[in-house]
Amino acid sequence: MDDLQFRRSILADPKTRDDAINAALKSDPAKQKFVQETESLDSKIAQAMNIPVPEDLANKLILRQTLASHQQQKGKTRVRLAMAASVALVMGLTANFMLFSNTYKNLADYAIAHVNHEAAHFSNTDQPKVTLASLNEKMSAFKGSFASTFGTLIFADYCRFDGNKSLHLVFQGKSSPVNVFILPDDQDIEFVANFENSKLQGNSLHFNHSNIIVVGDKNEPIEQWQERVNKSITWSI
Amino acid sequence: MTKPQVSYNMATKQVRYEALVKALHADLYRYAYWLCHDKHIAEDLVQETFLRAWRALDSLKDEKAAKSWLITILRRENARRFERKRFEMSEYEEATITDVSATSNEQEIENHWLREKIAQMPEEYREPLVLQVIGGFSGEEIASLLSLNKNTVMTRLFRARNQLKEAVDDEPKLRGLHNG
Repeated sequence: MDDLQFRRSILADPKTRDDAINAALKSDPAKQKFVQETESLDSKIAQAMNIPVPEDLANKLILRQTLASHQQQKGKTRVRLAMAASVALVMGLTANFMLFSNTYKNLADYAIAHVNHEAAHFSNTDQPKVTLASLNEKMSAFKGSFASTFGTLIFADYCRFDGNKSLHLVFQGKSSPVNVFILPDDQDIEFVANFENSKLQGNSLHFNHSNIIVVGDKNEPIEQWQERVNKSITWSI
Repeated sequence: MTKPQVSYNMATKQVRYEALVKALHADLYRYAYWLCHDKHIAEDLVQETFLRAWRALDSLKDEKAAKSWLITILRRENARRFERKRFEMSEYEEATITDVSATSNEQEIENHWLREKIAQMPEEYREPLVLQVIGGFSGEEIASLLSLNKNTVMTRLFRARNQLKEAVDDEPKLRGLHNG
């Protein structure tokens, strides 16, 4: 190994040793001296490079990370909260739409669906249970009252059917119960005066704030029922 | 079930991170200092580096590779700094080197003198030298860190030391000039 090669190797890495370097070192005291000098230079370099590190740096690093990941966590929580809120809002809107929007576009569909839905609960042989006083108490919500009962009233109560609050009266009819609905006038539902399907028929009467619908089977004189309702009812302001 | 697992992982990650900070922050700070010659920028670089390291800590599989991993992050951060402010710190500024000569002994004066020489060295020579002396990296490791081939690295290391050696050999004369 020539001198230049040797010096290059040692200066590139003073700790480097291989057979060639070891052999060169053994035979040449000048090379040994060169290595010693370089090692001493290296320790000076190392000392010079070892600039003081700020004492609290390690703690600062840990603190900053803690704060940063806390911040991140908070951010995540906020995003999650926002997402949950959005989901809840959409669900709320959907539920609202499904529960309270009108499935029925007109009074006829509404009344027939309502009768069919609850038909099983009423039998034509049920005993009358409702007095005129309690009926009128319920009617007050619609600002109306009946002067007299005009049939055998077997049921009278508020029904929330398809999002509409209505008063549902059930009278004994000839062969099956007759249903009378008192509904607030709703612009979303189209008024239909007369309607029928294969079993049921019905008439609607429009008043100032309310619609009254009479529904019964095809044996019932619906017109008569409507007449009786019309005569008996008085509306307050 | 997931929550305790998550916080357990977080706790482990925290322990790993703190161990990493304690073991390597000094080397990293010194390396950063020799890259930018400014205490404050060096500190910022180290902060940024460790913050990124925290976010990517799960990708560090081999603890032995931690130092070179951190140095790679720091070099990238430093490069970013230059993208942001190309004009800043492009040249070595004497004022930013700590002036210790007024209060300290001869050893520190010599350190200070040598520091200036190191700082004045071309970047391409200084960086491999810092990695070798402070980082304790081998020629191959430095080559892969700096994306150079090993021969280039060894040549640069040789030139770096040779420059410092020449400077030191001339030192008495220089210091005479300094002091006189």
